[in-house]
Amino acid sequence: MSVRHIGGHAALVVLSLVCLAPIYWMLATSLKPPSEVFDRALLPRSASFENYAFVWQNIPIGRMLLTTFLMAALQTIGQLLTSLLAAFAFARWRFRGDNAIFLLFVGTWLIPLQVTMLPNYVLVAQLGWIDTLAALVVPQLAAAFAVVLMRQYMRAFPRDLLDAAQLDGASNWRTLWGIVVPNLRAPLAALGILLFISTWNEYFWPLLVTRKLESSVIQVGLQMFLTQEGDLWGPLMAAASLASLPIFALYVVLQRQVIDAFIRSGLR
Amino acid sequence: MAQVILPARSERAAPALPPQRPDRTERGTGAARRRSSRRFFQRVEPYLYVVPALLSILIWVYRPLFGTLELSAYQWNLLPTTPRLPVGLDNYRRVLTLPEMGQALWNTGIYIVGLLPFSVILPLGIALLVQGIQGRMRGIYRAIIFTPMLIAPVVVAVVWRWMLHPLHGVVNVGAADLLGTVPVNLLRSQDLAIWTIVGITGWKLLGFSVLLFSAGLTNVSPDYLDAASVDGASGWQITRYITLPLLSPTITFVVLLTVLLSGQWTFPMISVLTNGGPLGSTASIYYLLWELGFRSFNVGVSSAASVLFFAGFGALAWGFTKLMDRFSFYDS
Repeated sequence: MSVRHIGGHAALVVLSLVCLAPIYWMLATSLKPPSEVFDRALLPRSASFENYAFVWQNIPIGRMLLTTFLMAALQTIGQLLTSLLAAFAFARWRFRGDNAIFLLFVGTWLIPLQVTMLPNYVLVAQLGWIDTLAALVVPQLAAAFAVVLMRQYMRAFPRDLLDAAQLDGASNWRTLWGIVVPNLRAPLAALGILLFISTWNEYFWPLLVTRKLESSVIQVGLQMFLTQEGDLWGPLMAAASLASLPIFALYVVLQRQVIDAFIRSGLR
Repeated sequence: MAQVILPARSERAAPALPPQRPDRTERGTGAARRRSSRRFFQRVEPYLYVVPALLSILIWVYRPLFGTLELSAYQWNLLPTTPRLPVGLDNYRRVLTLPEMGQALWNTGIYIVGLLPFSVILPLGIALLVQGIQGRMRGIYRAIIFTPMLIAPVVVAVVWRWMLHPLHGVVNVGAADLLGTVPVNLLRSQDLAIWTIVGITGWKLLGFSVLLFSAGLTNVSPDYLDAASVDGASGWQITRYITLPLLSPTITFVVLLTVLLSGQWTFPMISVLTNGGPLGSTASIYYLLWELGFRSFNVGVSSAASVLFFAGFGALAWGFTKLMDRFSFYDS
């Protein structure tokens, strides 16, 4: 190993520590009993789950985690479905207005949430959806990002397979579900994971359409908890850990797929 | 690309390949009608697939865009029971004279410029460094560096707020001990709070960009690099004159992403860490729009500001893509 290699590793190790240290500190603080929280020791002397118990008893964190999970799962399924169908159309046919419609999708990137928030809020309120799951899910059943990415996957799909299906007299609908989807399982799963993670972490829109702690998602609940109980750092870190653990678990198990999906997505 | 794979664009939608086999039994009016209804179905079929996604963005992105335009002409406090008062262009006049506006625009610029090193320069260097590592460690480094991106912005904000706590924060007190000074309350400082938010957002962002650049690097054909090193080019020369130009589309993309999204990335940090303060020194334009709409219930002014901001921003992004297109080098 040359000096340059050692230098490279050293730099990356330091960087890795910088990336992981805050996460470690969150977990370490969450496991410290109240008497140790302020002492800045790297390891809790006596690990305890007191903070977790406190959080569990004092805020409806179970409800919030469930709401967050439902929101993320439903949005992911919805976005996968709508983008799958749309991308199939874009890859399969040239039709009048196809480019214009595709541009409409890409164009949504130029429109920040803050520009559309008021009319959307008014609509959701008129529908009586404030504090419901529908308010969290329905406005985001399609994502331009998913459509664009899925279209790229579809374009790379071997045409011979599609043609063979057509010769066998399969309808487009059956071709999509019988041939395209099974063959795109890996990228579909990867996109699903990315969508799930990003919706799990969503904050801005839930902040607008939920009023009550019980009907809110974990990210908003965490902020409300911070505002109300500013200095309870042990329980706060426990709540923050609970909000992150599902994602960490997903990442540890599926880390390779996530990274590969990213690298191969052809996002460039 | 499309034209290579797909048959030439035809006026109406038709299955790509192969053409439908003619139906040999079609005779008489019944068959003809069936055939024409089949034609009709073929014509609308693509749209049926696009409609769910399209409808969703039309209702939840484009409709409200015009809705915002409409609201900007009224004075209203978001309560369904109060009537909307038409005020013409008054809201726009008020936006332009709003004292917070100038500061928020300036801050938004600081966020964008401040985040560029974290989204472009550092990740580029790190991606090159990681690319030079052989074997399993390469994947492990990438996975670790990507981790902060997975954590929810609110969690990131809460954790950093704890680590920067003026009395008990491990980073804040640790740094003060090391430098032999008194810990500073970074988030209450009018000069430093904004840079603290830039730093925290940058920490979260870094791994995302590293991965994007890594993706770009895997697309650079090793043949070019081999050819250059056979010709006796040094490592730095290869990076400077071959790798970087080939990466220019990725660089363009990441810069554009930073310009478009730094407002979204910093919003939760501002909201959790400083509420735009102290004295508006960390409020970005996005935060101001939210505050006007949902804190002071000044719907008209918030909408007018949104419209102005969207117009200016759109023009900026458009000009930027034109500009970058000219300077990007494509490996075709």
